[in-house]
Amino acid sequence: MKEFWQRYRRSPQGMTGLFIFLFFLLVAVFAPLLTSYDPQHDRYLADRMARPVWMRILPKYREMPTTVDLMTTREEWETPGGPGIKTTFHKEEENSTITFLLEEKGRGEEKILLEQAFLYEQKSPRTFILTMQVKPELPENLTGRLALSIINPEGKVFELWSGEYTGSRSWLPVRIDSRDQMLKRRLQLSPFAEVATEIFTGSGEYRLQLSAAFAGDGLGPGKGRIDVQNLNLRILGRLHGVLGADHLGSDLWSQLVYGTRISLMIGVLSAFIAVVIGTGVGILSGYLRGVVDEFLMRVADVMLSIPTLPILIILAGLLGKSVWNIVILVAVFTWMGPARIVRSQTLSLKERSFVEVARASGASDVYIMLRHILPNVLPLVFASMVLLIPVAIIYEATLSFLGLGDPMTATWGRMLHNARGFGAFTELAWWWILPPGLSITLLSLSFVLIGNTVDDILNPKHRERT
Amino acid sequence: MGYGSYILRRTIYTIIVLFIILSLNFVIFRLMPGDPVRSIMDPKLTPEAKLLLREQFGLDEPLEKQYLLYMRNLLRFDFGYSFSTRLPVKQEIMDRLPNSLLLLGLALFITMGTGIITGVFAASRRGSFLEALVTGSGLFAYAVPAFFLQLLLLLAFGYYLPIFPIRGTMSVPPPPGGLALLLDRIYHLILPVTSLVIINIGYWALYTRNAMLDALSQDYIVTAKAKGLTKNRVLYGHAFRSILPPIVTLFFLQLPSVISGAVVTETIFSWYGIGRYLLDAVLKQDYPAAQGAFYLIALAVLICNFMADLTYGWVDPRIRVGEGGDRG
Repeated sequence: MKEFWQRYRRSPQGMTGLFIFLFFLLVAVFAPLLTSYDPQHDRYLADRMARPVWMRILPKYREMPTTVDLMTTREEWETPGGPGIKTTFHKEEENSTITFLLEEKGRGEEKILLEQAFLYEQKSPRTFILTMQVKPELPENLTGRLALSIINPEGKVFELWSGEYTGSRSWLPVRIDSRDQMLKRRLQLSPFAEVATEIFTGSGEYRLQLSAAFAGDGLGPGKGRIDVQNLNLRILGRLHGVLGADHLGSDLWSQLVYGTRISLMIGVLSAFIAVVIGTGVGILSGYLRGVVDEFLMRVADVMLSIPTLPILIILAGLLGKSVWNIVILVAVFTWMGPARIVRSQTLSLKERSFVEVARASGASDVYIMLRHILPNVLPLVFASMVLLIPVAIIYEATLSFLGLGDPMTATWGRMLHNARGFGAFTELAWWWILPPGLSITLLSLSFVLIGNTVDDILNPKHRERT
Repeated sequence: MGYGSYILRRTIYTIIVLFIILSLNFVIFRLMPGDPVRSIMDPKLTPEAKLLLREQFGLDEPLEKQYLLYMRNLLRFDFGYSFSTRLPVKQEIMDRLPNSLLLLGLALFITMGTGIITGVFAASRRGSFLEALVTGSGLFAYAVPAFFLQLLLLLAFGYYLPIFPIRGTMSVPPPPGGLALLLDRIYHLILPVTSLVIINIGYWALYTRNAMLDALSQDYIVTAKAKGLTKNRVLYGHAFRSILPPIVTLFFLQLPSVISGAVVTETIFSWYGIGRYLLDAVLKQDYPAAQGAFYLIALAVLICNFMADLTYGWVDPRIRVGEGGDRG
C-alpha cells in the first residue's frame, strides 16, 4: 500500500486527477455551506433567467435590479386609529399575522385601511410577486372584503387584488404574479405591457395598502374576523447569486453544487454495482470454466451487442424517471468489461502454485475463489471500477440531458436539459450552460486520470505505449 | 478451422443474438406496468380499429402464439401504428432513415479520412505537437460528454455567431432548384457532421498512430529502411499498407457507437432521423414507434459487429489460413 502511494505520487497525471476529484468531493460534502438555497424547491428567488450578480462589473448590467423582499411586520404599518375595526399584529416564529376584528354594532359597512411606505431604490424590475394567506371567520350574513394596492411615487394607484369572503375557511393562499394576464386586464393595461415596469417606474417611495371591510346585517363586536398571514412582496431582481437563476427563478449555483453530490453518488454506485457483478461473473467463469464459463461469457457477448445508449433510453423511459433506476440500469449494461478482465486474471491465477497447493490440501472451490482468487483480483477490480465511474457519470448526464432524468433531483444533466428547453441558448446564457458541462467533463477527467495511473501501477502489462 | 467455417459460426452466432434481442424486446415491452395491450394499442382508437389491431397482433391468442406473431411482424419490419401520428411506424422510419444514413455516413467518412491522415503524420513525426495532441485526444474523447461538445458548437456557431442553422435537416420551405437544395442540405449538415468528426477523430488518429508505430518496428520495415528506401516510401509504401486491414475492422467496430450516438446528435441538432425518433417515441410513450426504432438500431449494430468479425477473421492469419484459434 505504501509502495503503491510512492509510485502514485510520482505520476503528475494521477495527482492532477486526485486533486480535481478531492475538489469535487469537498464541494459535495460541504454543499450546504456553499449555498443557502434549495436547488429545487426555492423558486422565484429572482426573475426568470436572472444574470449572475457579479455581472455588475460590466457597465451594461450595473443598474440591473436585485431581488427585494418586503416581509411585512407590525412596525412598518401605519395604523389609523379606528372606527369599528380593531387591528392587532402578532408574530410567532416564522409567521406574522394581522388580525382584523369587527367591534361595531349595527348595519351597513365598516372599513379600515392599513398603509406602509417603502423605498425601492433600483431600476424597474420585470416581475414581482405578492403572496399571503387569508383566514376569514365570518357569519353567513356578513361579507368581508380585502384589497391590496400599490401607490407609486407619481401617485398612481394600482389595485392589484381584492377578495370577498363569507363563512369560515382555513388559510387560503393568495398569490399575485405581475405576469398574470388577468392582472393586466384588471389594471387596464395592454397584454404586452409589464405590470412590474408600469408600477415600479424607478427609485422612490412607494406605498403598499391593505384594506379590510365588513358589510352586511350582522355587524357586531367579535362577530367578524379576518386573519392575514405572511404578507410578502417580492420584487424579483434581474441579477441573482453566483450563477444567476433558471427559468423558474431557482438558484443555479445551488443546482451546480448539489449536482456534484448526485453525479458522484451515481458514478460511484453504478460502477460499484457493475464491478461486483463483473467480479462475480469473472471469477466463476475463469475458475469453473466449462459450461458455466461458456454460458456467462456468451451472456456478456450478447449484452455487448446491444446498443447501450438506446436500450438505456428505452428502459429509463419505461421504468420511470428515477435516480435509482439509472444507477441500476447503467450497472446492468457495463459489468461486461470488468468481468472479462477478472476472468482472464483468474485464469492465470488458477495455474499458480498457491492455488494448486490449496486445492491439493482439500480446500473447496468456494473457499479458493473467496480466499485466494478474490483478494488477488481486487487491485485490478479497483482500477476497472475507477475507470467505469466516468462512463456511468456520462451515461447519467446524457440520460438526464435527454429528459429521462429524475425530475425531482437537480443534476448537471438536467441543468443542461432545462438550459436547452427554456431558452438559455437564445439568451446566450453561457453561465447556465458552461458550468454544468465543464463540471461533468472535469469530474469524468479526474476519474480517467486516476484510473489510468492506478491501472499502470497495478498492471504492468497494461502500461501505455510511449 | 478455415475461414469458411469461421464465417458460418459467426453467422449462426449473430442470428442467435438477434433472436435474443428480439425476444428481450418482446419481454421488455410486455413487462410494463399495467395492461400489456396498452403497449401495442393506442387507447384513443375506435373499438373497430382496436379489434383489427387485436387480430393483427393476436392479442387474444396465448402468449406463445403472440410471440410467434410478433417475430413474424418484426421480420417483415411491420411494427404497427404510431400512437401519436397513427401512421405505420415502418413508413415513419423509412421517411427518416435516409437522413440518418446521410448524417452518420458523411460524418464517419470524413472522420476516417482526417483521422487516418492525422494518425499517420503523428506516427511519422514522433515527439511533435501533433503527436501530443493525438495521444491526448484519447483522454479528451473519454471525458467530454458528446452532448456537451455539441451544445458548445451549437452555442458558438448557431447562437453567438449565427452562421449556421440551429435546427433542422433543411430549410422550410426548401429553396427552389436542385443546386440550391443541395447547398441547403450541406449547410444544415455542417454543424452536426463537424461535431461528430471532433468527437470521433481521436479514436482514429490514436489507433492509426499506434498501428503505424507497431508496423514501423517490424522486421521487414527495418529491412526496407536498410535497403535505403526513402522515409516516405517506407511510411506509405510499406507501413501504411500493412495497417489497412485492421483499419477496416476498426471502421465496423466504430460504427455501432456512432449509430447509438445518433440519438444525442439528432436531438441536439433537431435532425429528422431515427435517433431522435426513438427518443421522441420513448418520451411520448409511443411504444410501437420506440420498438421499431430500437429494432432498427440494434439490427444495424449487430450487422456492424458481424462485419467486424468477418474482416477480423480475414485479417487474422490464424483464422484465414486455418491454423485454428479460439476467440472465447
